[in-house]
Amino acid sequence: MSEIGRLALLVGFLCAVFSVGSIAYGLRTGRVGPLRSGRNALWAVCAMTLLAVIILGRALVARDFTYRYVAEHTSLDLSPLFSFASLWAGQEGSLLLWLLILSSYGAAFLWIYRKRLDPFYDAVAMVVASVAIFFTYLLSFVCSPFRMLANPPVDGQGLNPLLQDPGMMIHPPILYTGYVGFIIPFAFGIAVLLMNRTGTRWIEEVRRWTLFSWMFLGFGVLLGARWAYIELGWGGYWGWDPVENASLMPWLVGTAFLHSVMIEQRRGMLKTWNVALIVLTFELSIFGTFLTRSGVLTSVHSFAESNIGPWFLAFIIGSSTLATALILYRKSLLESENRMDAIVSREGSFLFNNVLFVALTFATFLGTTFPVVSEAVTGSKISVSAPFFNRVNVPIALALLLLTGAGPVLSWWRATASVLQRNFILPTVAGLLATLASLPFGLHGVYPIVTVFGAAFVLTTVVMEFARGIQARKDVAASRGAMALVDLMTKNKRRYGGYVIHVGVVMIFIGVLGSSVFQKEAHQPLRTGESMKIGDYTLTLKGTDQKNEPGATVTRALLDVSQNGKSFGVSHPAKAMYFKSQQPMTEVALHQTLGEDLYMILGGVNDDGTVSIQAYINPLVSLIWFGGIVMVIGTIFTLSDRMRLRREEKEAV
Amino acid sequence: MTSARSRFRAVRAASWACAFLALALAAFAVPARANESAAGSKADPARAITSQLICPCSCGEVLSGCTCETGIGLKGYVDRELKAGKNKQAIEAALIAKYGEVILGAPKAKGLNLVVWVAPFAATILGFGIATMFLTRWVRRKRVVAVGPDGAAGSGAPSADAALAQLRARAEAELREMRE
Repeated sequence: MSEIGRLALLVGFLCAVFSVGSIAYGLRTGRVGPLRSGRNALWAVCAMTLLAVIILGRALVARDFTYRYVAEHTSLDLSPLFSFASLWAGQEGSLLLWLLILSSYGAAFLWIYRKRLDPFYDAVAMVVASVAIFFTYLLSFVCSPFRMLANPPVDGQGLNPLLQDPGMMIHPPILYTGYVGFIIPFAFGIAVLLMNRTGTRWIEEVRRWTLFSWMFLGFGVLLGARWAYIELGWGGYWGWDPVENASLMPWLVGTAFLHSVMIEQRRGMLKTWNVALIVLTFELSIFGTFLTRSGVLTSVHSFAESNIGPWFLAFIIGSSTLATALILYRKSLLESENRMDAIVSREGSFLFNNVLFVALTFATFLGTTFPVVSEAVTGSKISVSAPFFNRVNVPIALALLLLTGAGPVLSWWRATASVLQRNFILPTVAGLLATLASLPFGLHGVYPIVTVFGAAFVLTTVVMEFARGIQARKDVAASRGAMALVDLMTKNKRRYGGYVIHVGVVMIFIGVLGSSVFQKEAHQPLRTGESMKIGDYTLTLKGTDQKNEPGATVTRALLDVSQNGKSFGVSHPAKAMYFKSQQPMTEVALHQTLGEDLYMILGGVNDDGTVSIQAYINPLVSLIWFGGIVMVIGTIFTLSDRMRLRREEKEAV
Repeated sequence: MTSARSRFRAVRAASWACAFLALALAAFAVPARANESAAGSKADPARAITSQLICPCSCGEVLSGCTCETGIGLKGYVDRELKAGKNKQAIEAALIAKYGEVILGAPKAKGLNLVVWVAPFAATILGFGIATMFLTRWVRRKRVVAVGPDGAAGSGAPSADAALAQLRARAEAELREMRE
């Protein structure tokens, strides 16, 4: 079977090469046949990749240790589900998953635009196939997942214990769906430049593809944060780890694009900037893979480091150079059709919001890569971690929060003094009141105060926008109450979906504020029967026990948890010692409520017989997860706005 | 002449924007840092130190939240040194002497490290300056175009009459196309 897998990837590589060549020939000569063949070849790339995935997946589930990849990432004691999830635990499997998602995007693109005869869409497919060449080449000739062992072991090395978490089943595929999805906007952008296309219709299509990938990437990032929270056992969810940063950067630039694209759609402006953002988003997605796989930076995510780093670096340099050259070559095509009317306008606020998003990305990029640069220049190692990012990124992020409130209430073209007065007084008063109301709860420091003010400001502007819209619907359509709200939202899904997303963003800001500024921590060695206090909670050690699980011995502390005398039963923070890796893993015990999480960790059993217990109270942390869900709901609602697109598609056909 | 004046005004507006943003960022960052350490030391002096350090083993975690053996050992060391009467600077200096500057979560703002501290804020200020300059120039150009050679008044944003006129012109053009 492994020969078939290897052959499938090789055929996939040849099909990708053929697809690019054939479409390029068809575009040059204007002949339809080669264009159609090129499209079909891209379908074949997808089919071949799927075949390779099925073969590797079958070997993983069957624990066929003649495959080197299977022997390195699974073991007999691993459950079939985790065995299959090992597909994305190692480098070769991750790249295969990447290629599967890439080629699936290509196939989805071909299916959605199957009735479009415009060669422009063939050019988009050609760009997708070009990227597929890179990945099929890597998998065929550099790091094949189908390498075999002459002397297979009786049992495999097993899966990294950190990855043996249910979240692992969905986190990487969702994250990759986001990362890889930016290939389509990138391909559209390059095709526009290659085909010398003008007009704004393509930009609406790009916006939708970007929004789709942006949603998956954002959700994937939050799932990763949740995984870190539960699995890493340090009481937090975001450590500014290089790979976390790598996933955040394309999301930030993608967010900038989703705002500035509105200016292009409405005013025909910022075309060069938007294409540059599309290219940058895609390059940063590839950069994320480079960081994960190259091993240039130490990270908790560097599960499989190897020598493919230089390949990725070459790809990033090559593709970004080509894209930049194309942008410069087609500069005249990207000239703005209009000029700004006033600085104080929605366009102006979006432009400043873009500056802040790009600055935040730059700060993250610089902080992430600086240790490597510093070591190369000075020869001494330094760390650039959470303490740095919290000082540099937080002020920029807070400025963005304030703009999130200001942007939507500024009118397009020009915001007059009366508009400013009408739209800003109430949110400002609400912000000030919220800040004053928070002071008795121990709110102190500039960041927390600005966060509370900004959050109240944004929420008030959103409520005002809804209230005005509902009033207008009542006046015009005689709708009442909830129906007016439904009418309002369904008639303009893009706008109100965007506001829902803003509410999600505010929830995340409040969650981060609560769980960082108001976090409480206690650690204490306990003997059986002794108690420790944290906040209103009392933790009483009832004893310890030990049990054997597949692949590990687990030591648990039995902690009786009560709050103001009310018992919540026994929690089991634990330490698991995995036989294969001899790695101790923390298993967190969580007592979750909407208002706060009680987070308990077993530090270990000490030589004197005491048990080290570490506990945190993380207030409002649940708002981070719910905020993410609200953002996803808002994005899906925005994406469901198909009416206009269908009308435009009919016109196009 | 007009172009030179327009450019001068754009640069002046951009400079004002940069100065304002620099002040705002300074007002944000400096007291926030002071508050951060003051609050931290008031609440838990050990945490104020460990939250700024990185575990020196390969785990790469911030020391305050690290649960590996090295991390737990170092947290114990910080506790003991504080109880012995040492201050934050002395404890940090001792740890840097033993492990090197790699133990600091944020590099000291000196030498090459200044780049990583200054560049993000400089880039933000520069970005705001460039955006303001472009906006100011665009707005002025638009006004010059809108007034026109005959001196007819016009603003950037279309008035209701102008918008209606535009719609009428578009409808007439579409009707002409249909007849053809």
